[in-house]
Amino acid sequence: MIKINSVLGSIFESTKFDRTNFEKLVISRIDLEKRILRKKTDLGTDIGINLDSGIKLQHGDIIGNNETKIVVEQIPEKVISVKLKENNQNIAILLGHIIGNRHRPIAIKDKMILFPIQENSELEIFQRLFIEIIDHIELKIEEQIFLPHTSADVHEH
Amino acid sequence: MTHIPRIGIGGPVGSGKSMLIECLVPILAKVGYSMSIISNDVISKEDADRIRNNLATKKGLLPENMVIGLATGGCPHTAVREDPSMNLAIIEEMEDTHPELDLIIIESGGDNVTTTFSPILADYFIYIIDVAGGDKYPRKGGLGITNCDLLIINKIDLAELVGADLEMMKADAEKIRKEKPFEFINCKTDQGIKKIAEHIIHDLLLDSQPKSKSLKKV
Repeated sequence: MIKINSVLGSIFESTKFDRTNFEKLVISRIDLEKRILRKKTDLGTDIGINLDSGIKLQHGDIIGNNETKIVVEQIPEKVISVKLKENNQNIAILLGHIIGNRHRPIAIKDKMILFPIQENSELEIFQRLFIEIIDHIELKIEEQIFLPHTSADVHEH
Repeated sequence: MTHIPRIGIGGPVGSGKSMLIECLVPILAKVGYSMSIISNDVISKEDADRIRNNLATKKGLLPENMVIGLATGGCPHTAVREDPSMNLAIIEEMEDTHPELDLIIIESGGDNVTTTFSPILADYFIYIIDVAGGDKYPRKGGLGITNCDLLIINKIDLAELVGADLEMMKADAEKIRKEKPFEFINCKTDQGIKKIAEHIIHDLLLDSQPKSKSLKKV
């Protein structure tokens, strides 16, 4: 087992790593929140993560030791994307209020609000919740790597 | 400050959370691990009193003051997810005064299938259900069932009596959990409990030796 206590860098920021020999550690967004985690890489290397205080894994992080370099790859998940049809502050506030009431983390990307769902059937739930503003928004289910807004460090259920 | 690995145990009322702790602790203590238990409940401290009596007073597996009852006074999930500050305050004191501990077990009060633990509070999350709650449980999902690190299905001895189809529960659990583990157990007979201990030692304690064994004699 390779013990991991810290992060070496990020694949998006660093050019000092030879990217051709990376192993992949594919993990869910929920598991990225964890401080202690035992998983195997795509090549079967046993990884025991026990992060030092204050460190949190992120998509693209590079971990490992002198011999083995591993890139953390977050699993894409289902999200609902909400796009405002017009620039209307009142609608935007109401939208945020409704999503917040469901305790969902959000991401803001390309002028869209994204939040994770477990099942496609949740689209119908949110169509009902948004009924008063439904004519002002476009809802779509997408599958993507969901990176929650840093201030949206909330629980979900 | 030393970070002591923490397990959060959640599940519906009567699914066997306290009983699981009472079965697990003797196995882990036999290996040499030193533990503390925090038992959350809405109003009473009955579960904590029972666990203390059975594991500390009667069996001497841990000191009596290492079993702590916490009456949270509200919906159980709020104390382990939305605002875990009451639990964290106890844990921080534990980490400060008892760095020799290998593991802290946090039991949530009985709650619904959306129960999860804040990752700030628990490093490893066990969700326990029982066959008497209905064999539809694994299939119905909910964050507790889908996202926990280990799903436990308890009281398998009752399956025939309540008409629960264990094979269907197994197939549903495999489908909804994907590659994440689940185990069938019976706390009344200790069936399957050793496997739960093995998951904890492998996945949370990362196969580390008990601190009492790794400390060098001076």
